[in-house]
This record gives sequence, C-alpha cells and structure tokens, in this order.
Amino acid sequence: MNILLIEDDAETQAYITRELTKLGHVVEQTMDGREGLQRASSQEHDVLVIDRMLPGLDGMSLVRALRSARVVTPVLMLTALGDVDQRVEGIDAGADDYLSKPFAFSELAARVSSLARRMQMVAPSETLLRVADLELDLLKREACRGGHVIDLQAREIRLLEYLMRHAGHIVTRAMLLENVWEYQFDPRTSVVETHMSRLRAKIDRGFPGGELIDTVRGAGYILRLPDRH
Amino acid sequence: MNIRTKEQISRLLHSAAFRLGVLQAASFAFAALVLFAITWVSVSGYVTAQLRQEISDESSEMAAVPGSIRVASINKAVAHAQKGTFFYGLFSPRGDRIAGSLTKMPPSLGWTRLHELRHIDSKHSVPGHLLINSSRLEDGNILAVAHGTLQADQLNELLLQSFIWAGLAAVVLALAGGVLTARSYLSKVETITQAASNIVKGDLGTRIVITDRDDEFDRLARSLNRMLARLQSLMEGMRQVSNDIAHDLRTPLTHLRHKLEATTLQVTSVEGYRESCTTALADVDHVLATFAALLRIAQIENQKQQENFTDVDLSGLLGVLVGDFAPVFEDQGRSLHARVHPGAIVRGDAMLLTQMFANLVENALHHTPPHTPVFLSLLPMPGCVRAIVRDTGPGIPKHERERVLQRFVRLDSSRSTPGSGLGLALVTAVAQLHEITVSLGDGEPGLAVQIDFQRPA
Repeated sequence: MNILLIEDDAETQAYITRELTKLGHVVEQTMDGREGLQRASSQEHDVLVIDRMLPGLDGMSLVRALRSARVVTPVLMLTALGDVDQRVEGIDAGADDYLSKPFAFSELAARVSSLARRMQMVAPSETLLRVADLELDLLKREACRGGHVIDLQAREIRLLEYLMRHAGHIVTRAMLLENVWEYQFDPRTSVVETHMSRLRAKIDRGFPGGELIDTVRGAGYILRLPDRH
Repeated sequence: MNIRTKEQISRLLHSAAFRLGVLQAASFAFAALVLFAITWVSVSGYVTAQLRQEISDESSEMAAVPGSIRVASINKAVAHAQKGTFFYGLFSPRGDRIAGSLTKMPPSLGWTRLHELRHIDSKHSVPGHLLINSSRLEDGNILAVAHGTLQADQLNELLLQSFIWAGLAAVVLALAGGVLTARSYLSKVETITQAASNIVKGDLGTRIVITDRDDEFDRLARSLNRMLARLQSLMEGMRQVSNDIAHDLRTPLTHLRHKLEATTLQVTSVEGYRESCTTALADVDHVLATFAALLRIAQIENQKQQENFTDVDLSGLLGVLVGDFAPVFEDQGRSLHARVHPGAIVRGDAMLLTQMFANLVENALHHTPPHTPVFLSLLPMPGCVRAIVRDTGPGIPKHERERVLQRFVRLDSSRSTPGSGLGLALVTAVAQLHEITVSLGDGEPGLAVQIDFQRPA
C-alpha cells in the first residue's frame, strides 16, 4: 500500500515509517503541512496519515483544503489532543478516522488498513452482507449460517455487521468501542470481550465451515474471508 | 501641597467625568449668553417701541390743539406731568423757546435720543436720558415732546445683571458637579483597579466591594466578581489536576523505573527482557489511562453548562446499558437485576450519562465479593426521576461516603483491586454538570447510590 505520512515529530515519523514498511507498505514522508498538501493533491496514495499540529499548515486546514479540492483519499488524523470535541471537529473537517497519541502500533496498522479498504468496501447502503456461508440481513435483523437462522441480540447484530463490513481486516477493541458501542470512554470491564465471545458461540461453534472469527493477539479480532484458492 | 495630593488632583483633572463637567459648564455659559442676547433684544425693543408710541400719541394730541390755546395747553401739561415722564417744548422756527419744560431745541426734527439733560429746565430735572420727538407745526413753530428713559434703562440693567449671575451660577454648578462626579467615579474605578492589581499580583480571592446602591458600577462589579469566581475555580481546578497528576502518576512511574532498572541490572536472557517489556508496557498503559481519566474529568468539569444537552430517553439508555453489562455479570457468575420504568426523559448529554452509569455498575462489579447481585432501578418520583444502583456487598462506612466522591480517594479495603480512584470523581463531575443529586446511602446491606434527576420544566 502507498501511504503518505505527514508528521513533524522526527521520532514518531521514524517509528511509524519503520513499522509500516515492515508490513510491506511504501511510506512517503514529509514534515511540512504545505508540502504535504502539495504532494497529497498531486500524487496518488492509498491512505494519508496526517498529524494535527504541523508547521506551515495545520492538519485540520490541510484536510479541509484537500476535501475542497475533491481529493477523496482516506485520511487518518493523529493528534495529541484526545478529547471528544476535537475528534468530532476532525471528522467534520473531512478526516475519516482519528487516533490520539500515544497509540499502540497495532491500532494504527488496523485503522490504516481499514481505511484503505474503505474505497473498495461494500457500500454502506448494502443491507444483505455475506461472508462464506454466513449471512446477515440488516432489514430483517436476522443472521443465518449454513441455512440455520441464528437469534442475535441488537448489540450482537451491530457487532457482526461491523466485522462483516471489515471482513479480512483486523478490528481493534478501540475501533469496536467507537463504532459498535459508540462509547467515548474505555470501560473497565470486559464488555467487548464478553459480547464477542457470545457472538462467536452463536455463529462460530459447531458449523462445518469452521470458525470465521479469530482473535489476533495484542491487536484485536478478524473475520476471515474464505480462502479463494 | 504634597505629592500625593498633587497626583490626586491631576488624576481628577484628567478624568473623563471632569472633562465632561468642563464641557457642560462651557455649554451652560454659552446657552446663558444666547438666552440673554435674545431676551435683551426683544425686551428692550418692546420697551422702546412702547415709549415711542406714547410719545407720538402725546405729540399728535398736542399738535391737534388749536394754535391760540397751544401755549396754555403745554403749560398745563407740563404742570400735570409726573416727575421724570413727559417733557414738552414749543420753539420758534429760529429755535427760540416759546413754552414748555425743554430749554433747548433738539438738534434735528424726528426722533432723537439725548444723553445730556441740558435741555431741561432745572426744576424738572431728572437723572437718565431723554427720547425726543420733534415736529414742525402748521404755523412753522416746532413742537418737541420727550420722555425720560430711566425706567427702560433700569430694566435693561436689571436684565443684564440677572443673566450674569444666573450664568455664573450655572457654570460654577456645572464645574462643581463635574468635580463631584469625577471624584465619585474615580473612587469607584479606583476600587476596581485596586482589586485588579491585587489579582495581577496573584491574589485570585480578591473581590470588588459591592455597595447597596445597585447602580451600574455595582452591576459591573457583580459581573466582574462572577468572572473572577469562575476564573478562580478554573485555576483551582488546574492546580488540583496538576497536583493529582503529580501525586498519582509519580507512584506508578517510580515503580516502572525501579522495574526497568532492576531489569537492566539483573536480567540476562532475551525471554527475561521480553517479559520485563510486557510488564513495563502494561504499567505505562495504566499511567496513560489514569492520565486520560484525569483530563476527561477536568474537561467535564470545565464544560460549558448544558452545551450539548438534548432530551435523553433515560429508560432506553439504561435498557441498552443493562443489555451491554448483564452478560459481563453473568460470565462472572453474578447477576445484574434491572427494573427500569419506561418513558423517563431527562435533559443531558447521553454519552456522559452512559459513562456515569457504566462507572457505577462497574464499581459495583469491582468492589463486591463474587456472586454479589447488583440492582439497577429507575422510578419516577414526585419532582424527580430517581435511579438507584444497589449492591449487597460490604458498602462504604458512613463517614467515608462524602470523601470517596473526590479524586484518588480509595478505601483501604479496595487497594488490592485495580483502579485509579477516579471512577466516583467522574460520576461527581458528570452529576454536577447535569445538576443531578448523587448520594451514597446504606443498601442494607451494601451500598446504594441514589441519583435524582430534576424533571425538565
């Protein structure tokens, strides 16, 4: 994947570049907002990772400028300001996701790959999701696997929908809390784990197709796409 | 005059109120002058016109008298004229006096104003001036009728004097008013300036004294005082947060440092290093979580009242919360019993209310022995909506109930359980923002947290 990183802190920049390169991505970098804007609008990238505080042109203005120039490349915004309003402001400016520092690298990697997928993802308007022999009908609010209808709670349906829309990609606990629970805080109990294990018990146990959801240690969960070979 | 008085006077003279007073005095003086000019012109014009009318009436009457008895009539009129009023003179065409109280013929015919009284014979003499009308009669003689102007002159004099005094009084009063206003304004502004400079010096507790006059200065002072109170609470909040951070982060950071030091000194295997790094990461994450929680509390405390408030379906919100947390309880072999009355609507921030209730439910989970059931209820009460989170655990001793709502307060009994001691502080912060009353009570046995929402008006 081709990623443009616009970040002025040399150490963070080196760290992100090193780790992303290890995952096989091509990372271009710049420390200056204006140069970043110029490169982002003149060249093709799969994902832009932009720090909010930048010399030259700040991250928010940069994203606004990009969006008004009809550059639709997905943007992940990084910031040291983690509060809720900042996040909303960032999304309003046109960022697709927002990650506050400090973060675990696995979190960044998951979000970058999720964003890159967004371009080719199932349209959000799609109401019948299908992965292998698992189907989720969002209108009937009903899941079935291998022809068996599975009874799911409201939260489990949302959780499964999110996993299916991101099938083949790691989703982190924080991503689930933000998007499935819409919590702006980190619960001190195992809410995510509990619901995930219940969902897995319902859709993953005892089916001939094997388990679809995997736990990725230290990162999150993944709903595997069937092997095409 | 010492320097301080000089300075005060100079400050007074330079004040806006005093300048206004001077301007006012000048405009009063000008107004008095204009008023005087107008009055003077019209009054003296009227009086002179009146006098001329009287003189010309008398003159035509005298001229109408037949020539044979004219001398006798003039003498009779002279005899009857009141002192200082009418004077008469009949002169031959050559200017010789024939009859009357005027001794000399006026220098010209028509209207004349004479400033000397040489023209009157001594026994009729009066102070003042004369206004004379002379005309030629049909027999060639000249008839002069005059009238003293003393009364008119005195009237003008009186007019002038009263205007001068009134004008002076107005100017003096305006100046005095200016000085007084300037002094009272200066003293009030001085109070505010004094308070401001105390604040600049660092004494945020200073307040501007409010009098009982309730004037614009008191209103200004009141709003400034409100501003100061808010500033002070923000500053104290900031200080509190810095103290808290210093207090609560120093300890885990010290532990972390010890561990890392021990690792570099003692650990020799790669496996050992990996293990140390994993614990160190967990420690750092704990520090970061505490830090985030502190900032979150500070942010909630400083949030502008009811900025993002909407009507929140509290019953629905608690229903979803119970749905999310009940499985967590069940997995630990406990139970979360809910009795939520439907349709309770409150005004608030749904996100924060969810966090508040999640905190209370999680507290009940963390601080009670295994298998302890937790009860959540929502009931409409007269005047409020009441939510209660109750457990049958060990509870909190009565004297500690106030204290645990503050930051970092942890009971000795809960030191062994994980947590930062910030959960209830966050509950308090959310409650204050929503004007919710939170009280910790006895669950008989256990703890009962009672949350009263004011019903929206």
